[in-house]
Amino acid sequence: MITINELSTYLAKNGNEILQALWQHVEISLIAMIITILIGVPLAIALVNHQRIGEVILQVAGVIQTIPSLAVLGILIPFVGIGTVPAVIALVLYAIMPVFQNTYAGLTNIDPVLMEAADALGVSRRFKLFRIEIPLAMPMILSGIRIATVLVIGTATLAALIGGGGLGTYILLGIQTNNNAALVVGAVLSAVLALLASLLIKVLANVSFKKLGIGVLVVAVLGAGVGLGRQLLAKPHETVTIAGKMGGEPEILINMYKDLIEQQDPAITVNLKPNFGGTSFLFKAVTSKQVDIYPEFTGTVLQSLVKTSSGVSHDPETAYQDAKHDLQQQFKMTYLKPMKYQNTYALAVRSATAAKYHLKTVADLARVAGQLDGAFDPDFYQQADGYPGLKQAYHFNLRSVRTMEPALRYEALADKRVDVTDAYTTDPQIRRYHLVTLTDSKSFFPPYQGAPLMLANFAKQRPEVVTALNKLAGKISNADMQEMNYQVTVKHRKAATVAHAYLKAHGLVN
Amino acid sequence: MIEFENIGKKYDDQNALKNLTLTINDGELFVLVGPSGSGKTTLLKTINQLVVPTSGTVKVDGEDVAKTDLRQLRRHIGYVLQTGALFPNLTVAQNAAVQLDALGWDKKAKEDRISALMAKVGLPPKTFLQRMPSELSGGEAQRVGIVRSLAAKPKLILMDEPFSALDPVSRRQLQQIMIELHREIDATIVFVTHDMHEATLLADRVGVVYHGALQQVGPPNEVMANPANEVVRQFFDAESSGDRLLKQVLVAGLGREKQPGETPLKVRNSQTVFEWAGMLERRADQLIEVDGRVLTIHDLLNYVARLGEESDHDQ
Repeated sequence: MITINELSTYLAKNGNEILQALWQHVEISLIAMIITILIGVPLAIALVNHQRIGEVILQVAGVIQTIPSLAVLGILIPFVGIGTVPAVIALVLYAIMPVFQNTYAGLTNIDPVLMEAADALGVSRRFKLFRIEIPLAMPMILSGIRIATVLVIGTATLAALIGGGGLGTYILLGIQTNNNAALVVGAVLSAVLALLASLLIKVLANVSFKKLGIGVLVVAVLGAGVGLGRQLLAKPHETVTIAGKMGGEPEILINMYKDLIEQQDPAITVNLKPNFGGTSFLFKAVTSKQVDIYPEFTGTVLQSLVKTSSGVSHDPETAYQDAKHDLQQQFKMTYLKPMKYQNTYALAVRSATAAKYHLKTVADLARVAGQLDGAFDPDFYQQADGYPGLKQAYHFNLRSVRTMEPALRYEALADKRVDVTDAYTTDPQIRRYHLVTLTDSKSFFPPYQGAPLMLANFAKQRPEVVTALNKLAGKISNADMQEMNYQVTVKHRKAATVAHAYLKAHGLVN
Repeated sequence: MIEFENIGKKYDDQNALKNLTLTINDGELFVLVGPSGSGKTTLLKTINQLVVPTSGTVKVDGEDVAKTDLRQLRRHIGYVLQTGALFPNLTVAQNAAVQLDALGWDKKAKEDRISALMAKVGLPPKTFLQRMPSELSGGEAQRVGIVRSLAAKPKLILMDEPFSALDPVSRRQLQQIMIELHREIDATIVFVTHDMHEATLLADRVGVVYHGALQQVGPPNEVMANPANEVVRQFFDAESSGDRLLKQVLVAGLGREKQPGETPLKVRNSQTVFEWAGMLERRADQLIEVDGRVLTIHDLLNYVARLGEESDHDQ
């Protein structure tokens, strides 16, 4: 669990970044809500007298809401890319239903006698709409907006998955790196934000229509002014966008990339998107040019990204050459030279278990597998180079196996709820929980070496970037990486600091 | 003048109005009366086209309402609904001035006009103008509804069962206000009710509507005394017992043949026993002739005595 102490240390260390994420969260939510209101309310007003179309729109909005938000984000990437824009679009798609529905219901449920009176007295269309219909529907409209706002603030945490930033960054980071302080900060802040927003709307409900309109206008003008000002002030820099998968290690790597590139060519601004998402998310982001570079492992390339005819080689150099060749052929991508360390799979057990059963290798484990329970990350559980292949190669079957979030399986192991998990050889938790990794004497696991992946066109146009990144080729040992991971995910030091320290110590930057 | 010419209205297969023709004169308070579902409200609403008739034409001052600018027409017609129908988000003053706003009255003229009317219907402007409709009783809300309908000095006011939902005390007060207003203002009022008593109390003329057809038109006492058909008679039965018409004295079996040499005063059967009593007060031996029968002071005493017995039985 987490202590107040840990939390306050975390807050003190990352205060600025958290505030920035909070503001980003507010910004995304606010923009999404303003767009939602600007679409939802007028649409409902326009359709109130066209019942059939209104019902159809209600149905469509309802269906959209049943699509998981993650799927919507995935669908949007090829069309609108990554970052704030698709996040806002997805949020608007979600929020429009309650706003439209409530506005529509509010307008259609007005006492017909009042509508008859308005007609009979010959009031103008404008008077009827703005002085009678909208004010009478206002409580319903506002409750729709409130529901939508809470929904948006909650869902906006997913924006972090596609580089939209916000408080979700901390939730993801927390889950990924098993950092409860980050998790609590992200979750609690977004919950508090939702409550405050809901309260604020309740208060605003009692403010007169006119004042509210003026207020909204002022906020909109200010927002537009700030946005425009920022754009004007921003220098026309060349930017390179580098993203990383979930977790501390990719974040350390992309911070190294940033340092190296910016040293090579100070005119380039490197835009980092840490904790950006899973493999296919990132790969799509590069093919759709939303992200320029991300670090990928040779094993992953061969296993999940390219189609290979020959199977995966167990020799690291051959594996890299295969991956490089296939990426070039099949996707017109350039795969730079890999670093030294191997972040491959291994099976991990508690040191007590290892001592009890005399376990040193996977073959040792095979002897006693029937008495042990396993927990694997979902990829490992399914992939051919994971558990299914491993148990064939070594002829064993664990007593039970379940799948678990990568970050949680170590805890489950440490808490003795399971006896065996999969591990990555550079994971800091191995050190933290004093786990033993079993030697893969049959070389079953394919080599996993990290290297920068980018489109071939990009590599051709930016030779200076390629030069900068190649400085990491053959660098960073397993022990180095394990230590850096330990610093970031266990000691909660900043990835940028740790990355810079390594580069400096090895003379790669000044 | 309002002229209905062969008005028909069909809802699906139902005939709500059947080929109805009627003329309402300028300045009269015309009451459309009939049981619920008879079509009287539907007929009223054809005047301002809230209901568009399936056939026939409605003319207001000679102009076919189907061909006029509806919004302009409606701004010059006062309209009172059953429940007051005040807009709950507007103050009393704002509600009352809805038509004046639509017509572009300036602020001062608006305030003066509304205040004057408020006072006339018994709502002190200072107390009531800034209230919200939710703070009013049913009677007060309906008074504001009347103020709203009168504000633009319309030549025509339509009232759709305005007092039906009120308690008896408020209803009586508002009926009294209506009688006074009708005397003061020079407007045609078309008033819908299912309450016969209200009809006879307020109307210059009534039109009895039943099953979408006009059964009879005339001054209320005429209609009551000489119902054109069984429907009208039954409808007025309960009411006439309260009004005590000479017709009812005859129905009770009183009166005798005229004897030679007598010169009784001829009166209409729609006159009341109270008027008769007034005549006898001036001359105790005054004979009156109703529908060819002669009535004396003894007949009056006899009739009143029987009424006493009736009410004894009632107890």
